[in-house]
Order: sequence, then C-alpha cells, then structure tokens
Amino acid sequence: MKSALLAFYRLLGLLAMLAMVAALITVGLSVLAREASWDIQGLDAYAGYAIVAALFLALPITFQRGEHIRVTLLMGKLPQRWSNALQVWSLLAGSALSALLAWFAVRLVWISWSTHDVSPAMDASPLWIPQLAMALGCIGMAVACLDALLSHLLGLPFFDTHAHGEAARIE
Amino acid sequence: MDALIALLLIVLMLVVLGSGLWIGLALLGVGVFAMELFSTRPVGDAMVLTIWGSTSSWTLTALPLFLWMGEILFRSKLSEGMFRGLSPWLNHIPGRLLHVNVIGCAIFAAVSGSSAATCATIGKITLPELKKRGYPDHMAVGTLSGAGTLGLLIPPSIIMIVYGVAANVSIAKLFMAGVIPGILLAMVFMGYIVVWALRNPQQVPAADAHVGLLAKLYEGRHLLPVVALIIVVLGSIYSGIATATEAAALGVAGSLALAAIEGSLSWRKFYEGLGSAVRVYCMIGLILAGAAFLTLAMGFIGLPRHLAEFIGGLGLSPFALMLVLMGFFILLGCFLDGISMVVLTMAVLLPTVQSAGFDLLWFGIFIVLVVEMAQITPPVGFNLFVLQGLTKREITWLARVSMPLFWLMVSFVMLVYFVPGIITWLPGLMQ
Amino acid sequence: DSKWDLPTAYAPSSFQTENLQSFVNDVDKASAGKLKITLHSNASLYKANEIKRAVQTGQVAAGEILLSGYANENPLFGTDSVPFLADSYAEAAKLAGIERPYLDKLLAAQGMKLLFTVPWPGQNLYSAKPVETAAELKGSKMRAYNPATSRIAQLLGAQPTTIQLAELSQALATGTVQNFLTSSASGVENKLFESVKYYYRVNAWLPKNAVIVSQKAFDSLDKPTQEAVLKAAAAAQERGWKISEAKDIEYQKELAAKGMKLADPSPALKKELQAVGEKMTEEWLKNAGADGQAIINAFKKP
Ligand code: NA
Ligand code: NA
Repeated sequence: MKSALLAFYRLLGLLAMLAMVAALITVGLSVLAREASWDIQGLDAYAGYAIVAALFLALPITFQRGEHIRVTLLMGKLPQRWSNALQVWSLLAGSALSALLAWFAVRLVWISWSTHDVSPAMDASPLWIPQLAMALGCIGMAVACLDALLSHLLGLPFFDTHAHGEAARIE
Repeated sequence: MDALIALLLIVLMLVVLGSGLWIGLALLGVGVFAMELFSTRPVGDAMVLTIWGSTSSWTLTALPLFLWMGEILFRSKLSEGMFRGLSPWLNHIPGRLLHVNVIGCAIFAAVSGSSAATCATIGKITLPELKKRGYPDHMAVGTLSGAGTLGLLIPPSIIMIVYGVAANVSIAKLFMAGVIPGILLAMVFMGYIVVWALRNPQQVPAADAHVGLLAKLYEGRHLLPVVALIIVVLGSIYSGIATATEAAALGVAGSLALAAIEGSLSWRKFYEGLGSAVRVYCMIGLILAGAAFLTLAMGFIGLPRHLAEFIGGLGLSPFALMLVLMGFFILLGCFLDGISMVVLTMAVLLPTVQSAGFDLLWFGIFIVLVVEMAQITPPVGFNLFVLQGLTKREITWLARVSMPLFWLMVSFVMLVYFVPGIITWLPGLMQ
Repeated sequence: DSKWDLPTAYAPSSFQTENLQSFVNDVDKASAGKLKITLHSNASLYKANEIKRAVQTGQVAAGEILLSGYANENPLFGTDSVPFLADSYAEAAKLAGIERPYLDKLLAAQGMKLLFTVPWPGQNLYSAKPVETAAELKGSKMRAYNPATSRIAQLLGAQPTTIQLAELSQALATGTVQNFLTSSASGVENKLFESVKYYYRVNAWLPKNAVIVSQKAFDSLDKPTQEAVLKAAAAAQERGWKISEAKDIEYQKELAAKGMKLADPSPALKKELQAVGEKMTEEWLKNAGADGQAIINAFKKP
C-alpha cells in the first residue's frame, strides 16, 4: 500500500515534469512562430495550462520530499512531546485544507463541464480539460497529507528529506 | 471593528505559521477562516476559481522557467569558469578575492532571476576557494549572503515579474529600473570590503603570484559562456525577439545548450534539474495560490480597503510612509518569503502608495530592495537557508555575519529615496 | 437590506468605471440605502475572465463584463464585434437594440439578468508606419487578442501576434508588434501614443461592456428596490452611451496633442476593410445560426 502510494506521487511528479517541458516548448514556440511568421493560435493559453499542471501535479511529491516550506523554529525549540503535537496539528490541518481544495477543484471541473465553459482566449479550449490536471494534483496532495498523518500516528516513515543534500533552494 | 479583525487575522496568521503548518496551506487556511467568519460569500468555489485564474496566467510562465534555468546552471560548470576568469584581475584591490563574491553574484544575477540560486551557485565555488586561501569566514559568508540578493535586483528577476503582474507595471521597465541600483549596490558592497580590508590588513591573505596581462586575458575566456547567456536572455528582450516572459524560455534553452557544449549535460543531470525546478516551483506556487485566495478573502471582507484608508488617513508624509513601509516589510520578511510578501500586500498598499505620489516603478525597486533585506533576516531568510546548507553553521551566526550588509541595504534605500533618478532615469529613456 | 459586490476589470479612472460608480451611487440613493453595492475596480476581486463565472455561480451578485469576450462560448455574445458591421454610435445603438432580447434570453438561460450595456469607442487602427492600402499591412505583425482580431489579421495577410496588454507598449517599442486595433480610450489609458504614431479612424466595431446580475440576487430584492435598480440601470445606459461618444472625441484630441497623426482611412483601405468585414459577417452567420441571421436581417433593414 505504502509503495503504491509513493509510486502514485512519483507518477504525478513525472507528469508535472512533462508539463514543465511542455511549458518550455509552448513558450519557445511562440517566439519561433512570430519570427518565422507561423500562424499558431492560443499558445499563451496553452503555456498557462502547462504551468498549472506542473504546479499542482507536483504537490504530493514535493510534500513527500519535505520541500514545501514551513516555519520550524518553534518545533525545533520545544520538547519532543510538544513538537510532536505540533506535527499532528500541522498534518491534521494540512489534510483538512487539502481535502477542501481537492473537493472544490473537482467541483470546478464539473461546473466547467456542465456549463460548457470555454476559454475566452484564442485557444477556445473547453476549460474542464486543463482544470482536470489541477483537480488530480489536489487529490494527490490530499491523499499525501492523509498518508503522512496516518504514517506519523502509526510511527511509520513518510517524509524523505535525505534525497536532496544540496542547498539548491531557489527563490 | 476593522482594527480588531485585522489584529485577529495577524495574530492568527502568526500562530498558524509559527505552528509549523506549511506556508501555502497556512495562507489558504487563514483565507478560508476569514471569509467564513466575516463574509457571507460561498468560500469553496471562489477559492478554486481564484487559484485557477492566478496560476494559469501567461505572465506567470516566466517564473517556473527561470527557476528551471537556475537549476540547469547550478549543475553546470558555467559558474566555476566565471570564477577562474575573474580571479587574476582582483589581486591588487584591497580585499582581493573577496570581491569575487560580489562580482560573481552581480554577473550571475544577470542570468538568474533568483537570490538563493545566485547565492548557492556562487557560494559553492567561492566559499571553499576563499577558505583554502585563508580569508576569514565571517567576511566570505557575510558578503556572499548580501551579494546573493543582487539576483533579485539585477534583471531578470522573478520578484519583479510577480510585482509587475500585481501592480500592472511594465516588467521590461522594471528590469531596466533594476540595472543601475543593482550595479550601485554591488559597488557599495565592494566598498564595504575595501574599507574592511584597509582596517584589517592582517586578516587579508597575501596576493597570488603575479600574472601577466596576456595570461589574465587568456583566463578571461572562461567568462565567455556567461556573457553569451546574458546576451541571449537580455538581448532577446530588448531586440524585440522575445517578450520579458518569453525570454525565460530562451534562458532555459540557452543554458541547456551551454551545458551541452561544455559537456556537463547528462540525462541524469537534466532529469534532476527538471525535477528540482518543478518541485521548487510547486513550493512557491502553492504559496502564490494561498496568497491569491487570501487576497480575494481580504477583498470580500474589505479589510485592505479600510486599512489603506486608515494609513492614507494618517496623512503620513511620503518619507514617513516609506519608513513605515520599510519597517513593515522587514518585520514581514522575518516570517514570509519575498514573493508572498509582495502578493499579500500589494492589493492593500498600492492605492495608498499611489496616493502618496510614489512612482510605481520606483516603488517596485523599493520593494525589491526590502525583499532583499528579508532574504538575510532570520527566522525565514532564503539566503540564510542556502548558506546553512553550504556551511553547516548555525542560522544565528549566519544572520550575525550578514547584519552589516543588511544595514548597508537600509542606507541604500535612503539613498534611492533622496535620489530617485537612480531608479527612474534608465527606464525613462525607453520611450 | 442587501449587499452586493460588483467586480470590474477596469481601472477606477476609466470612464466605464466612473459611470459604474454613478450607477452604484444612484442605486444607493433610490433604494434609500436598502441595497448597498460595493464596486471592486481594477480586477482587484476577480480578473476579467473570471467575472462572468463568478456571477453565474453566485460568488458575487453582479459584475461588469466585456460581452464579446464570451464569443467563444456563444457567437451571439460577439454580435457587437462583427467587424465593420456597425461602425458608428448610431449604428451601434441600433444593433444594441436589436440584439438585446437575444442577449436577455441567453443570459437568462444561465441564471443571469442583463442590466445595461455601454459601448467603448470604435476600434481604430494604430500603426507604427503609415498605412495607405491593405497591401502595406501584408506580412506585418498585428496584435491579436481574441479569435476575431486574429481572423482580421489573417484576412489582411498580416501575422496575428498574441501580446498581452501589459506587454504591448514594450512590444511596440521593440517592433515585436507593428499595428493593432483598439479604441481611442485604451490608447490614452495605456499611453500607447508613446509607441505608435499613426491612427486611422476605421471604427471597426464598438464593443460593449455589460453589467450583469445574478437572477437569484435580483429576485431576492423587494419590488421597490428592484425598480430602483432597473431605473438606475436605464439611466446609466443612457448616460454611458453619451459619455462614451463625448469621450471618444476628447481622447482623439488628446492623442493628436501627444503627437499622433490621426486620419480617416484612404478609400482604398476602407474598401478592403469592408471586404474583410463582409467575409467575417458571413463566417459569423455560419456559427450564429437562425438568431444571428434574424439580427443581421433586422439590422440591414433601413
Ligand atoms: Na537577476
Ligand atoms: Na527574513
């Protein structure tokens, strides 16, 4: 079960990486198209959809690798019992919030689909299609938060913070 | 009543952030709480509609792409070559190779849009080298910490893109506006090194063996890749080949090409760089999403409007307002990263700032400078985190050695307040 | 007592927003404070593309939208933007009267009610270089921001180039874009006179902003308040059309004062543009069906 979940987060992460490549290609194509006078329409909208997918699909794997930032000053200073309580609180609140987000992201897709909402830009895409990636990522995040909460309560490992030793944090 | 709500929300925000909840989710949670309690609007649909709108915008595409570019460069030999090209030239300036920190950061800043990437990439080469040659740690680390923030001020700059979108200011003009302050601030940092070196000559190690001019020039060839990348990114914007947003894609393509040419590009590095870029973007993007919704919740409650009216009603002189805002941002910067600081506060502040007669272009650079300071103040300061990873030192020590640079930046803000032309002159030539 | 939020994407200084503020004040007065509307300008609450959806799903009671922005959803939303069909205030007013029942029906089916519409000044041709005939537009980079503007560029043989408004003045300065269609109002508001010199009064179309309200929110008001809203809306529409026309003249004077060369299109250019218009009307009719045909027939009747 645990390994299946991890595989799920990694799969979404892989899709996020593909989305990032898609964003690069789309934006690059818009430069090329203008220079070469190719008439390709809606590229700006597609680039937007690509980065949404990259952002949301990467949520669970980023969470699993402990790369979402938080203020750990207090947790580090408090005795074990209290910092444990703070961790449980964070995971509980995180699960509730990401579940809320996932629920309404799915609802967003459903409303877009049932009202035939289309992009007003040149792509004229039915919006539920790109919004699907956001909903999927949010569901992944909710699952990952619950996974982390249960793992913590059961004393199982969840976070993999050793995978990346280098200090390549970017802002 | 408004003051009470504001106070409640600020306290709630600090408590939730301090409790260790992931920052993006914390902002989302405070937004949900505020909207549930103080407005009659349905929360969920508004939340996702706003998050969708704010994360699917074309202008935002530059952010993940510049992050990716930074990750590629971090894994290439490009920055190492730059150190080799620069070091023979600096032997005769007081402080000698310490200046490589500042010059290296300033140059790297011109290709990277981020402060921590600049700090990490330059630090990885300079810190071991400086230590090996006997330069004191506190100067090596402190100047790196400060100079790394130039990544934000010298274009391209992610924070300027975020501000430009929030304040509806031309991103190209913001980029231009950052050039002169960026170079000046780098000179201020170098001046600090010179002054320190003259006062503590015994702490500066002896010069390397003298190198002839020809050898110096020959070593300079290592600078060529960086120069090429600068030409690609900045040249594409100002020659009209690409918009400021599209330039990020050219930056990624250019750095991939350079890495391939120098032979440091492998599938493994490509995969690692891409993965890292996606996750870092995800981390920032979640904060952006949370902040976008919190901003909407604030809009419904009307708090920003009332607060802005309050601050506007204080009748502060522009100078007092600037000081108040600087203090406010330094305080916020103790808890938040630069990007969420900008998106969280712009809706609140812009009307006040505009009515006080500040030029939004000038204010953008002011914000960048203050956000730079926030990079090196504890407990949340990204450059401090980067340096912690590099040096394994306590964050308190890191903050202490960065303090002189922090105060230099405070003085620099005063300078640009009284001489705004430093910021507005160059973009003014664009028309 | 009711409280409505009314988001708009336009800046507080825009004549559309000023007119909207007067509407809000009128409602407050006429309803004796029973309905308070809060105007959120400058896309501070929702961005332009989100506003219709926000009204439709009940997140806000009312909102201001650019009607033709929704032409992808239903061609009838884009009736006012069929190029060179209605190219003066008088014709735009005639068309607005004819299309109104169709818009009412369309929005009612989505749970919304149309309060009033106000046109922007006509879309005119801004160009970096002088344009005498359509041949000079061939191969040039023409800004496109929706399917209609893109199609115009295609039919003129120009390269449709997508540039966001925020990046437009830089794109013009660097030659990324060479010409585009927009109103005198946005030329002034976005300081486009800094980057282009030539302005041709082609009046391609007069796009309209519409203030829409959720039917549910409207129904929950008592009768006198409903009437107050409708009365204020009628007044806002009448006032808005007048202001728009007066402002158009003012804006053009300002553009000229800032050094732009304003001119009517040459007869040759006018004829070529007319041909583009006829072709696009035909294409629009294919999508707009019987309702579209009925609108055009009524409009063409003298
Ligand atoms: Na930079
Ligand atoms: Na800080």
